[in-house]
Amino acid sequence: MPEMDAKALEEDLRGIISKIVEIEPEKITLDANFVEDLGMDSMMALEILAGIEKKYKIQVPEEKLGKLVNLKEAMLLTQEYLKS
Amino acid sequence: MMNITEIESLVPQRFPFLMIDRVVDLKEKEFIKAYKNISINEEYFKGHFPASPVFPGALIAEAMAQAACILLKKSIVDLTATLFYVTNMKIRFFKTVVPGDKLFIKINTVKLARIGGVFETEALVDDNVVAKGEMTFACK
Repeated sequence: MPEMDAKALEEDLRGIISKIVEIEPEKITLDANFVEDLGMDSMMALEILAGIEKKYKIQVPEEKLGKLVNLKEAMLLTQEYLKS
Repeated sequence: MMNITEIESLVPQRFPFLMIDRVVDLKEKEFIKAYKNISINEEYFKGHFPASPVFPGALIAEAMAQAACILLKKSIVDLTATLFYVTNMKIRFFKTVVPGDKLFIKINTVKLARIGGVFETEALVDDNVVAKGEMTFACK
């Protein structure tokens, strides 16, 4: 899959996270901590990973769940698997 | 194919809350197809509803959850978790299910992990979709 525009990726991921965590997209800043700032739990993180996999048709191992700490890290993780 | 004995070894629910009669197909980590025969003899039809029995939507969701639980347990063989519970469910209901129907449940895996799974769920009667949605399961 070709490398995608970072801004488009940011908006896509913000949309996925917003829907699952049920929080306004503008509150999901690049550095907002998923657990402390947005109230996310581990099962929401799994849903987000599932949403990313479905959207981009990629497979991300469960071990990478811990990397989902904020939007910036979620983008880096997605980009890593889009390239591979 | 999985009969009721094997089903009972995989889900803790029993009558009147066991919502799967038979598993007809299962591919580990991918999908399960199962069914429940809906009988007028079920206790809940006394009240839901006395003059017009309808299989409760909540029990369609429960049947989906039990099928997903079987898929999860068959997919992660060394799973030590004993507690399985639904953390998220979004289901849309399209048609009523009534006594005499055979309720087919289809579950497809979206994401499977040791902490749980995300599934797409579908319920059908006579090949018509009666309910459809998504479900997230946690294992503990």
